[in-house]
Amino acid sequence: MNIQTLSKDEALKSLLTSVNGLSATEAVKRLHEYGLNEIKEIRKVPLYKKFLAQFTHFLAVLLWAAVALCFLSEYFHPGEGLLSLGIAITVVIFINAVFTFIQEYRAEKAVEELKKLLPFNVKVIREGVVKEVRSEKVVPGDIILLSEGDKVPADSRLIESNRLMVNNAPLTGESDARLRGPEAFNGNYFDSPNIVFAGTLVVSGLGRAVAYATGMSTEFGKIAHLTGGVQERLSPLQKEIVRVTKIVAVIAITTGIFFFALGFFIGRSFWHNFLFAVGIIIANVPEGLLPTVTLSLAMGSQRMAKKKALIKTLTSVETLGSVTVICTDKTGTLTQNKMEVEKVWTLEGQGARGKGRGGRDDVGSGFKPVPATHMLMQTAYFCNNATCDNGAYKGDPTDAAILKAAREALGDIKAERIAEIPFDSDRKRMTVVYKGSGVQGFKGSSEQMLSALDPLTPRPLEPFQYVSFTKGALETVLPLCSGILVSDKVGAIHESPLQQITEDNKNSIMQAYHSMMDAGLRVIAFAYKPVGAIHELPLQLSDFTDIESDLVFAGLMGLEDPPRPEVPDAMKKCHDAGIKVIMITGDASRTAIAIARQIGLINNEPVVIEGHEMDIMPDSALREKLLSSEIIFARMTPVHKMRVVSVLEDEGERVAVTGDGVNDAPALKKANIGVAMGMTGTDVAREAADIILLDDNFASIVNAIEEGRGIFENIRKFISYIFASNIPEIVPYIAYVVFSIPLPLTIMQILAVDLGTDMFPALALGAEKPAKEVMKQPPRSPDEKLLNSRILGRAYFFLGPIEAAAGLFGFFYVLKSGGWQWGATLPQDHLLYMQATTACLAGIIVSQIGNVFACRSFHESVFSLGFFSNRLILYGIIIELILSAFIIYHPLGNMIFGTGSLELKVWLVLVPFGTGLLLAEEVRKFYVRRMIRNRFI
Amino acid sequence: MYKKILAAVNEFSNSEISARYALTLARSCRAKLFLAFIAEENIHKDKLKHAEAALERLFMDAEGSGIDVQTIVESGEPVSEIAEIVKAQGIDLVFTATRREDIRKRFFVRTLSRQIMVRLPCSVAIVRVVRMGGIHPGNILVPLSGRIPDIEERAYFIAKLAEGFDSGVTLFHLHKPLTGFFHGEMHLTPLQREAHIPKDVEEFRRQLHHYNIIHEKKIGRGGVARAITVEAAHKKNDLIVMGASERSLLKSIMRGNPVEDVLRHTPCNLIIFRGTKNRQL
Repeated sequence: MNIQTLSKDEALKSLLTSVNGLSATEAVKRLHEYGLNEIKEIRKVPLYKKFLAQFTHFLAVLLWAAVALCFLSEYFHPGEGLLSLGIAITVVIFINAVFTFIQEYRAEKAVEELKKLLPFNVKVIREGVVKEVRSEKVVPGDIILLSEGDKVPADSRLIESNRLMVNNAPLTGESDARLRGPEAFNGNYFDSPNIVFAGTLVVSGLGRAVAYATGMSTEFGKIAHLTGGVQERLSPLQKEIVRVTKIVAVIAITTGIFFFALGFFIGRSFWHNFLFAVGIIIANVPEGLLPTVTLSLAMGSQRMAKKKALIKTLTSVETLGSVTVICTDKTGTLTQNKMEVEKVWTLEGQGARGKGRGGRDDVGSGFKPVPATHMLMQTAYFCNNATCDNGAYKGDPTDAAILKAAREALGDIKAERIAEIPFDSDRKRMTVVYKGSGVQGFKGSSEQMLSALDPLTPRPLEPFQYVSFTKGALETVLPLCSGILVSDKVGAIHESPLQQITEDNKNSIMQAYHSMMDAGLRVIAFAYKPVGAIHELPLQLSDFTDIESDLVFAGLMGLEDPPRPEVPDAMKKCHDAGIKVIMITGDASRTAIAIARQIGLINNEPVVIEGHEMDIMPDSALREKLLSSEIIFARMTPVHKMRVVSVLEDEGERVAVTGDGVNDAPALKKANIGVAMGMTGTDVAREAADIILLDDNFASIVNAIEEGRGIFENIRKFISYIFASNIPEIVPYIAYVVFSIPLPLTIMQILAVDLGTDMFPALALGAEKPAKEVMKQPPRSPDEKLLNSRILGRAYFFLGPIEAAAGLFGFFYVLKSGGWQWGATLPQDHLLYMQATTACLAGIIVSQIGNVFACRSFHESVFSLGFFSNRLILYGIIIELILSAFIIYHPLGNMIFGTGSLELKVWLVLVPFGTGLLLAEEVRKFYVRRMIRNRFI
Repeated sequence: MYKKILAAVNEFSNSEISARYALTLARSCRAKLFLAFIAEENIHKDKLKHAEAALERLFMDAEGSGIDVQTIVESGEPVSEIAEIVKAQGIDLVFTATRREDIRKRFFVRTLSRQIMVRLPCSVAIVRVVRMGGIHPGNILVPLSGRIPDIEERAYFIAKLAEGFDSGVTLFHLHKPLTGFFHGEMHLTPLQREAHIPKDVEEFRRQLHHYNIIHEKKIGRGGVARAITVEAAHKKNDLIVMGASERSLLKSIMRGNPVEDVLRHTPCNLIIFRGTKNRQL
């Protein structure tokens, strides 16, 4: 049998303990058997391993091999410059490793935050004596003492309690406390009132419980299992970068091997060929790509932060742009989380107000003081734990809204509360008892009045002294009512005609209830009852059972949490962008549907799944349901949320999910993008998420998606830009081998381009604003690659050759101007040679300036985009020129990169290559646009 | 299939919990239950007292459940003595609880669990108890690899255990990911993964149908041990029953040992089962 179904004695027996607790030796033994009662992160990869992994991936291994060969050849053939090449490649590996690590690294603190929810010390009974021990030393079988303010240290079965109220928010997400008691329970384990779970908080009362699960085997530990155990996957962008790296590696190695073999057949020496092959590989590898991607993502995350979306993991910037489904909470995300009483309903006058709707009125204009409404307002006023301090309402949002409505109708009333049974999620209602003397309409105590107040009792009651007020969910309040208030006379409750509640009355109530829910309102029912003498205070639970019977139904209030004004537009953007939005809410389905309609989430009859249906639904059926274009999950808990996310991801969707509670953490970790609420979210949720919404607003997610989509396009743009400069880096090597000319571009100069001059214009490309049509297109398909044959072809066979021509032209122009003859060799430190290679470098730089404008769009003319519409491009070019000036004209730059100063005329002969490249691109784009137009005509 | 089941009991509470699984299975199989306590040399009298008390409680409960039960108390080296009893009594299945060192030592080297798995000439169920209060499983998670060496016996074991506890069963098969050089790991939907379900898993399902055990099938992905523990934590399973590792020590060192990993990190009670056809841990 399971622990909740057992009697107190059976529970103790099954755990091999007693009310006097364990002996000290047994406790030690059990600590040895079951381990410490602690939350820990399992399978945590140490930070150093994550860093070392950056040196062992595919590209890094390739480069290490090159380094090894460089050092080897330096050993056998010193003075060939391979030592500096080896060092340079090593630096490249380190730069890439550091940048990638920064990009991927994220401190995992979610489990750390979970740990904070367990107590530090706890009182237990061992050998019949109360002892305070550290929470981690609690073992199964320990008797734990619980009192107000305590955190529960382990999953435990209650054996004694005195009005023990426990808040299960960390586990269930429900903020309301629940009454717990030791009686055996035959229902569901998680609903059992005799179980208290680790990590939950004792709100009031006292209790004793026997621990039966500790540490990671508690339900709380399972959240840690799920949060820490979710397998870290590569983001779509990381996968694409791995793919790009492999493509580059294959191209580099193939080219290297090909030219090594070619050199061999031409008859060059092994070391010459080897040096050449290594040079080809280096020229092919876009060393600056990873740093540029990282910095571009970092800039993107800053732009998103301005739009209220704080990015925690850089790759999330792009992942967000690829999401196909958003699973969103309702309250606070789609709505404002500002409750207002929108409608009230009483039975008074049925038809007296005409239209047979009963006493509805608009709160904004104030409630008319009709008696039935008056009594409803009094019930709302008294059965309430919110407070008003100088017009500011504090407390639960629902209570605050109800109090506000009641105060607007009645003003302030003074009466003495003598007892309360707080709201409880299981009972879904609260009841308070007041002294009757303070309650309006209850000043007298005549038998006539009492008889009038209690329509169901034919005989006069004893003079009443107290009045009870109850509010809660209709389904729990209505069954307790035997009477209903129907008066329409102002201020004279005792004269109000009360009547026994009839089936017709109940139908009217239900009709009003459904009508309010269909309008998206949260409906609260109110009832009251005059109580006779209460002989003993404080009240016991059994007294409340009496008090909560034969109630008089007072009416309903419909509360609205208005949608955020930005949400309908954001929802339309999602529709246009082909992103499916799924609402997952704890609210009732009718309320959820109404709100969904108001914000444009649904336009037809949606598929609605409630929590209890989902519990018995197999994954295959859920999968089917999730294919529906409009779907709402109502009456859900965070556990359901994780299941929805899992099924969607299994189907290949890229899912963003919102969450704020502790137990939302697993779903936030599981989803491709976990979005935590910055204002209302718990620390655990914030730590588990990839993105924190600073304003809890759904519209901010959509804005961030727009930014993310733009970033994917931008990365493509600068990949195109960076790859174009590979060709002018490779071609000089080929010319060097094939035509036996001096090497036109040295390895260090290649690195100067890849890790220097190219970087800032590339970064500026990463900051291009998203195109207007970016949110009019469906999410990119998983098959859509970052680097495809069109992008590679444009870079390698169109832009690249122009740049190569520029470089070689500059090289030969300087050589020829310096009197060089074909076939003559030049030493590496000869000024003419250094100036010639510098001219080659300058040719690449000039043509890359033209290229950066060309790469701003794949088919839009730069003239229509505007040369100055992205000022960062201009800044990037200025920095590029400053760097170039340093490399070419500063002695230190000359020394590092083996360059020599160039005359102005060299620059002037190179400029046409930059402008020519731009014009050639404009012609290409013109034909591309024409082709696109023709396709749609 | 099982006529005689032996539960090894000692002074630790987890051995008593482990024996309760044996008790339920014995009732379900209508098998005779042997409750054995092997006292080591120079055992402390407190330990003896605890073990005997456990034996007595279990005996009473078994008898109360109408099980033919017998207690055996011997002294000596536990594994050798149990092996003797197995031979002498013709025991079909032995239940025993893990000890702390089973969790601590890598690859089970020189652990009691390994010795029992290797030396006993019958089927073995090793139980890791992490929750004292959750013996009655609402749903049993059964991870299955592509090759199940003892299909019939394991299906019988699961079926009878589920029958004894009136529990549901979830079969959990981990699909080996398809990868390409440029594409990396390829995503397959559950329907696509269905096409790759191994024959042994299908045969296992057929066997469960044969025993009228209602079960759910789930195909997971990712690292084996991690996927199993996450699934158990997510679905709030009360018990995992998995087959003993078939990996050699060398393979375990090279590629890790998922069984060992689950044993260490299980969020609920765990039974590692080794049928008579599979004699290696």
